[in-house]
Amino acid sequence: MAANAPNAARGVLVIPAFNEAPRLATLLERIRVEQPALEVVVVDDGSRDATAQIAAQAGATVLRHPFNLGYGAGLQTGYKYAVATDARFVVQMDADGQHDPRDIARLLEPLERGECDLVIGSRFLAPTGYEMGFLRTLGRRFFVGLARSFGIRVTDPTSGFQALGKRVLALYVGDAFPSDYPDVDVLLTAHRHGLEVRECSVEMHASPRKSTLHGGLRSIWYLYKMLLAVWAASGGGPNERRPDARAPA
Amino acid sequence: MNDAQTLAHLRELFLDNTDLEATRWLALSISLVLIASVLWLVRRRQLREEYTPIWVLVSVSLVFVSIDVESLRVLTRWIGAWTPSSTVFFLGEIFLVAICLNYAVRLSRANLLIKNLAQEVALLRADLNRLARREAP
Repeated sequence: MAANAPNAARGVLVIPAFNEAPRLATLLERIRVEQPALEVVVVDDGSRDATAQIAAQAGATVLRHPFNLGYGAGLQTGYKYAVATDARFVVQMDADGQHDPRDIARLLEPLERGECDLVIGSRFLAPTGYEMGFLRTLGRRFFVGLARSFGIRVTDPTSGFQALGKRVLALYVGDAFPSDYPDVDVLLTAHRHGLEVRECSVEMHASPRKSTLHGGLRSIWYLYKMLLAVWAASGGGPNERRPDARAPA
Repeated sequence: MNDAQTLAHLRELFLDNTDLEATRWLALSISLVLIASVLWLVRRRQLREEYTPIWVLVSVSLVFVSIDVESLRVLTRWIGAWTPSSTVFFLGEIFLVAICLNYAVRLSRANLLIKNLAQEVALLRADLNRLARREAP
């Protein structure tokens, strides 16, 4: 697959999508205008709607999970594809239209200059007018503090808008990468392996979805799970660097 | 006789209770049914061989203590329980917790393998589609 993949020398834009048919066409069209050189990979995470068909019609490479695996697993499938096709970098963004394709170029600048391995698009690095509810703000501040306690200085650790270099990809295709919420725990894993994490300011729109990954009762589960995952990531583990079959040696 | 002596005397009465025939036969029957169930499930290919040792071990232990009740009494004295049946319940609870933890670990591993397989299916399907498009006239 690697030798024949399109844009093998360029970057891959990974969009994990689950039942995103109503929003996907507009997003893919905007990406085509803003970033025509990027190979767009839509990871359909077992959608029951026309997500995969819409993505294919828009010219995206579609990777279809046979059933729903979770947001993190969707991202990781995209990473595995990028590693297998020898892509130089991956940009990841959400399919719900929260992230603006115009920011991709800004996200890639530090990566292209070789200043870092991972760039996080932050809503809070500069005033962008993005508003969160009280509890989510509290949660964000807690996780910012937690990341800082490990020496990672970020303002938006839950942002799904990121650019990742090859070294990060090699790490993230391992078995330790979570299937559900890859946030502070994976940042910590990258940081522990000496990878440089940066942020750049991006604009984000409110998600049109009624429920988010971190909203409602899920937030309690998220808090519990993330604390446990951060604790596990802080000590490494036998699975952390286990190479995947498709990862480079 | 003070309270401590009364309790000690009571405990000895419980432990020396010889009227355990019904319990013994019940335990023996249950353990034999358990062994038979394990073998039947293996024969029907509903239980894999590698999951059987723990159940065979439990069944054989039950058979052993049903036949040799004195060994259960020794164990009961050693752990400080009052009756052989409470020792069986105590060990049973420990066994259930341990086996739940064991299965949770196995389930986590199975989840990881299923996720990796599903991802591989997605990547291979994309390969297949690409090849099919290339070969299409």
